[in-house]
Amino acid sequence: MKKYLALLVVSALLFSVLIVGCGPGEEAVAEGQDLVIAMGAEPENLDPLKMMSAPAATVAEHVVENLIYLAEDGTLKPALAESWEPAEDGLSWFLKLRQGVSFHDGEPFNAEAVKYNLDRFMAKGDFEGGDAAVFAFLLGRVTEVEVVDEYTVQIHLDDIFAPIASHLSHSFIGMHSPASLEALAAGDYVEAPIGTGPFKYVSWDRGEQFYMEKNADYWGGAPTLDSVTFKFVPEAGSRVIMLETGEVHAIMAVPPTEIDRLEAEAGIDVVFQNSVRVIYIGYNLEDDLFKDVRVRQALNYAINKEAIIATIFQGVGEPSSAPIVPAIFGYTEAGPYEYDLEKAKDLLAQAGHADGFDMELFHPTGRYPQDATVIEAVQAMLADIGVNASLTTYDWGTYLDTVIVPPDQAEHDAYMLGWGTVTLDADYGLYALFHSSQWPPAGNNVSYYANDEVDALLDEARVTPDRTVREGLYRDAIDIVWNDAPWIFLHNEGQVNAVRSNVKGLIHHPLENLSAWDAYIQ
Amino acid sequence: MYGYVIRRLLLAVPVLIGVSILVFAIIRFIPGDPARAIAGVHASTEYIEQVRKELLLDEGLHVQYYVYITNLLQGDLGRSTFTGRPVTVELFNRFPNTIVLSASAMLIATIVGLSAGIISATRRYSLFDNASMLGALVGVAAPVFWLGVMFQILFSVNLGWLPSGGMGTWKHLILPALTLGLATAALIARITRSSMLEVLRQDYITTARSKGLVERVVIYKHAFKNALIPVVTVMGLQFGTLLGGAVLVETVFSWPGIGRLMVDSILARDYPVVQGAVLLLAVFFVLINLVVDVIYAFLDPRISYGSREVD
Repeated sequence: MKKYLALLVVSALLFSVLIVGCGPGEEAVAEGQDLVIAMGAEPENLDPLKMMSAPAATVAEHVVENLIYLAEDGTLKPALAESWEPAEDGLSWFLKLRQGVSFHDGEPFNAEAVKYNLDRFMAKGDFEGGDAAVFAFLLGRVTEVEVVDEYTVQIHLDDIFAPIASHLSHSFIGMHSPASLEALAAGDYVEAPIGTGPFKYVSWDRGEQFYMEKNADYWGGAPTLDSVTFKFVPEAGSRVIMLETGEVHAIMAVPPTEIDRLEAEAGIDVVFQNSVRVIYIGYNLEDDLFKDVRVRQALNYAINKEAIIATIFQGVGEPSSAPIVPAIFGYTEAGPYEYDLEKAKDLLAQAGHADGFDMELFHPTGRYPQDATVIEAVQAMLADIGVNASLTTYDWGTYLDTVIVPPDQAEHDAYMLGWGTVTLDADYGLYALFHSSQWPPAGNNVSYYANDEVDALLDEARVTPDRTVREGLYRDAIDIVWNDAPWIFLHNEGQVNAVRSNVKGLIHHPLENLSAWDAYIQ
Repeated sequence: MYGYVIRRLLLAVPVLIGVSILVFAIIRFIPGDPARAIAGVHASTEYIEQVRKELLLDEGLHVQYYVYITNLLQGDLGRSTFTGRPVTVELFNRFPNTIVLSASAMLIATIVGLSAGIISATRRYSLFDNASMLGALVGVAAPVFWLGVMFQILFSVNLGWLPSGGMGTWKHLILPALTLGLATAALIARITRSSMLEVLRQDYITTARSKGLVERVVIYKHAFKNALIPVVTVMGLQFGTLLGGAVLVETVFSWPGIGRLMVDSILARDYPVVQGAVLLLAVFFVLINLVVDVIYAFLDPRISYGSREVD
């Protein structure tokens, strides 16, 4: 018996050594042009059908490319499509594809491949009846993708829809080798992507890292880096330590408390970038309390956004100056509402609420950074003008069910939510939240905002192909919304990354992607 | 003995059915619409419907459980709603890593704990005894996530000896295993010490000594084996606790084990994976308890499992 026990222990130990020995077997410290980046969350998978997170987009973009690339300055750049033009009637778009591009498996990139990918994404054509992508609504206006010739596709729409180019640039609509997608077993999603990008997929160790090597035949010229590794390190403090020890070259999402320390450290650069999400408190405009615009504005003046950002977010982020963030096409600086208690009290008094009032404020806890803390600060600031907000919070799922409801079911006077305009086009940020056709259950206009002028401007911007004209339309819409104040405009989220100083050329994108195709190690 | 093992295994069946019902129910009774929570704020109504269909949320609870349990019996735990991969694949990718980590931690705990306990018991109130018992007190009290970060700062940042996280070489295993093992080592040391002291007071030890046996034989052959019974109990229970502690340690050290998988899955509201992981841990816990009971019999011949007879 004793012998057996000893045997058992020894074999268990051997087993453990074997398993540990099966890892990549190398130290993570990179030499030469092997870049290592630590990110917090791991991608779900890299399948356009199922992708829904920024980490998935960050990793995928190195291997799989889009037809159109959305640069960090908000401009649309040719990627696998060299040009895109609307037809005369605006009801379809012609995309001229880049010629001579191959997928990493050697398959040619052409119009058939585009049709295959887009049809699969929308569950149309040969994929009719299957499940559409989580983000299929991005192409909700597309009725058909037509192959005109080998390098031209025509995308047909059910109505004129100007933002279609922005939507096609979304990171989740990448072009995969059709052969690789066909090879997937039923029920499986893409884990080993085959695209046309500057890096080729090599391995993905779940819970550990995603490893890719340079594509020497890349159509845009081979990258300088030999390889890129994304490590998944959920604990923010551990990411900081890995950067300090040199185990990684760059980390994403630096915790606010570590910013000062890292900035003081030689050989490490802290990089601040905007994000695309606004955080706001929406009023229930069907509520008599908020029918008067003076009340809505008064509460905006009563909140000290600067103080919230300085104290709760250690300076990361900025007060909202529009219902969308500056990185988005169509943004106009309309605010912020400067903190002014006297003005707030005056406006309240004019509206007949000199003594303030009581309100029910609903908010999520743990969904957005510091959400509950922000709400407590708001509650205290509102108390200064006599507004007594009582707080209610729910688990995220319940919260969405409670708040995103038709007006007759609303229990709240005001609610906190955030919205990321992930297409970087104002249409997605404004139409969904302020057009009167988008009241729940149809959409996300949870404030029940309705303004005919805004509706008309947003409708027109959708069908106007000229980007300059569209910008003007959004400017007018934003000005009206800002003065109507259907929300208490709080802040734009920021993001903070940190990079070792010898790494150059990383792109810190407002979409919270970190891109390494132009990067190199000095 | 074999009969006993089989009986115990059969008894585990109702326990596991109970666990499966509990896990199934707890997730179904989370307030709000799980489909909505999984799909998120940007999701279209069509997608929410699709999720609801996948999770059979429109069916009655009994139908859902029936489908769940029949699939389970065929080894099908469903697919992760987050990654789309089969839950069994997710679990079996990660579980060995957690076993490696916990087993290494247990090994460290056993070596450190037993030696410290025995030496402390035989040299009562010596400097070593006081120092190791103080160390044990700190070890039991220090939270593992704090200890982990301290080790990272000391061994990775300041001394640069060991990697601060990830998995790969044996070096990657040292810090997490040490972090996880120390609290258990402290507990084992304290139990071993008091159990040894208890045994050393027994008459048969005096007899052994008066027979003229060398002290080493008295301690290791006569006292230690009998002192081990409470220690083994604690070690068995601790193995379960280690799996729980692994959740924190795996997060701090980015160790791709099942604890981290559970945390990630809970945050992503990936119910099929959470269910599968809890069930797997329950099975494991039942097995560990069985092993502990069998080891008793080996340590103490007075404990018999063969039949009702007492020998």
